Amino acid sequence: MKRRDFLKIAAATGATAFTSSVISRSTWAASAPNTPKVLNLLYATAEADSEAIKLILEDFNSKLGVKLNFETYPYSALQQKVFAELAASSSFYDLLVVDTPWMPALTGKIEPLSAYLNNSQLNNSADLNLSDFIPAVFYDAAVYNPKQPHRHFPNANAPVAVDIIKKEGFEIYGLPLQANVLTLAYRKDLFDNPQEQQGFESKYGKKLAAPATWDDFVSVAEFFTRPEKRLYGTTLMAGSGDWAVDDFKTLLAAWGGNGHMITDDFKMAFANPEGVAALSFYADLINKYKVTPPGVTSFSWDDVSDTFNSGLTAMAMNYHDMKLNQGVQGEVAYALVPKKVAAGPHFGTWILSVNKFSKNKEWAYRAVAWLTSAETQTRMLQKQLHPSRFSVYQKAVTDPQLQKDFANFYDVLGRSLAQGVGRPRLTNYSDVSKVIAVAVNNAATGSQQPQTALSAAVPQIKEMLSQAGYSVGNA
Amino acid sequence: MPHGQNPFSSEGILSWALLTPAIVILLAMTIAPSLYLLHSSFFSFTLLNPDLKRFVGLQNFLQAFLDPTVRQNIVVTLQFVVLAVTIQLFLGLALACALAPQSLTNVVGSTVLLLPFAVTPVVSALIWRQLLNPNYGWIDYYLQKLGLIERPIEWLSTAPTAWIAIIALDVWQWTPFIALILMAGLQSQPREPLEAAAVDGASLWQAFWHVTLPQLRPFIVIAVLLRMVEAFKTFGTIQILTGGGPGRSTELINLTLYRVGLQNFQIGAAAALGILFLILLSIIVSQLLRILGKNTELLA
Repeated sequence: MKRRDFLKIAAATGATAFTSSVISRSTWAASAPNTPKVLNLLYATAEADSEAIKLILEDFNSKLGVKLNFETYPYSALQQKVFAELAASSSFYDLLVVDTPWMPALTGKIEPLSAYLNNSQLNNSADLNLSDFIPAVFYDAAVYNPKQPHRHFPNANAPVAVDIIKKEGFEIYGLPLQANVLTLAYRKDLFDNPQEQQGFESKYGKKLAAPATWDDFVSVAEFFTRPEKRLYGTTLMAGSGDWAVDDFKTLLAAWGGNGHMITDDFKMAFANPEGVAALSFYADLINKYKVTPPGVTSFSWDDVSDTFNSGLTAMAMNYHDMKLNQGVQGEVAYALVPKKVAAGPHFGTWILSVNKFSKNKEWAYRAVAWLTSAETQTRMLQKQLHPSRFSVYQKAVTDPQLQKDFANFYDVLGRSLAQGVGRPRLTNYSDVSKVIAVAVNNAATGSQQPQTALSAAVPQIKEMLSQAGYSVGNA
Repeated sequence: MPHGQNPFSSEGILSWALLTPAIVILLAMTIAPSLYLLHSSFFSFTLLNPDLKRFVGLQNFLQAFLDPTVRQNIVVTLQFVVLAVTIQLFLGLALACALAPQSLTNVVGSTVLLLPFAVTPVVSALIWRQLLNPNYGWIDYYLQKLGLIERPIEWLSTAPTAWIAIIALDVWQWTPFIALILMAGLQSQPREPLEAAAVDGASLWQAFWHVTLPQLRPFIVIAVLLRMVEAFKTFGTIQILTGGGPGRSTELINLTLYRVGLQNFQIGAAAALGILFLILLSIIVSQLLRILGKNTELLA
């Protein structure tokens, strides 16, 4: 999706959202039947931006007439807590925040929302306007086939509408709130420096700019790699963890492959020529072009932040905005992750869902609708929410304070989300991801050739899928 | 209950009544979960779909046995425990010998010694990760300053250096634990045998080898045993420091257990893996006790 298209849709949906939100300001809460005193929300401490929720707690209480009891846990503890609560059919938490990779295992325990979305009586607390959600984000994070949760919605660019989703046999299991995607951060001060621009142009015969293609990326990264001055072109998340898979699947999509890596029919779509080319390029950045700092093959997304923020690299891909450390004089700007023959930056979104066992499901739904509404998400921007709605991005890109604090981050974030590619929908994704991460890491360290590393992962993953009950067959 | 007392006497009944709560708690907290673990290991199911639970006999065990990754994890775990505990034992013994004589300096030294193992393992791993960072970590910085290396070592990027890092962290954190146990052993030893050895003309080394060490043996057994059990349970430090990488070179079995049980929630598979590991651990510990505990009162 082009920037102009993105802004057009954003403008249209923004206007609708504003009108509806004004209309919906009413004292409906007090008159609604069976109002609970408290709704319990289970949330992620940092990963889904709990500060944004804290910011609107008072508003929530006054607007809905219900107290929101808000508990947060760090990522691993949260996953265990969510799964344990749902496994025990506990009704304690009315609302849950759910990360994308967990959802394939949870569809039977999360309340489907289409009936609630179609019930006008339940939608007077907030402007629903489903078409305001970025389709790629919505379909990847919230729309599942209840009978075959491993399948993705067939058309991820279709406008978001309940009838379209139901017609395909799919359901809506929550509304997206915090949407994360890989973007490319770069040192604007270096890129804008006339001396650097002149130097680059005389060496490569083109203007120095944030790279739009991976070929340009290599040129720019090589140009800025000056180990003697403690400066490197870029850094990567090549350590043996889920983050390495996110880097790899982004490149796989860029090289024209299926960024999901494993198809909905369980075909291995990563160990093919596109996958090998993508992984070879990744390993070459480290071992051939040598544009990364020492230690990159043990880096996670956290190390990428530390390295870029300390001024050690000119570019870096990450899921969030970057802030240079106090001692580093410079400026940060953002660009889309480069393309090769296509683009598909890795993304993953947190959704707010209703616990199937909650005793206050209608109220929980109202809360979800209000918390994910355009108006509430716009307020949450103050606490760096990564919104899931077009109209909120439209506001973000025209807000002078946000532009001052985050440069063009929100513009790039919104456009990146529109072209993002998610994960395969597997109940044992962490096992599968680990095998691919090991392959990527082995190729990155040079201990295995990319082809060998990816081929070695295939039988392991097939075995894991079989053990998890998937019919892999001869796929 | 005193030995030989009639269990049906009033005192016997009172004793049983007093013991019953503790026995019930023990059964509920240890025996029942263990039995449930064993039961679960024969079934294939996930936490969220207990309704789809199906009996698979020994299939979970077979899969764990045949899985090359699990076998590699077990080898890595044994390698880690043997290396770490052996180094800790020797360093701990040396520290204990140095700090055993009662003096003000040694009291201060012993107190300082306590610090590393007072630090939460996860925190220590986070700190070590920063120290080992090849771009701005202190370790590479000072090694370069001292002229010992020309360029930074990428500690966590290659298998040999990652191993040095994880063993070094474990040794730094847990050597004081062994040292303190052995120090207590040394301080409780009577002086007379050493004095007799000195009178008989034994050298310091001979006195240590033939007098001190045999008397210290029960303490060594306890220290090694406790440390080994703890080392087998290592999880947080490795998860933070290397995540099992590079590749799978430092992936302990506990990291796999965590992923299968607490990320994928495959309860049957995780239970089988846990039981296999428990059996392996029991065999190793009992053999170790038999060897180390020879001629000590521990096995009497």
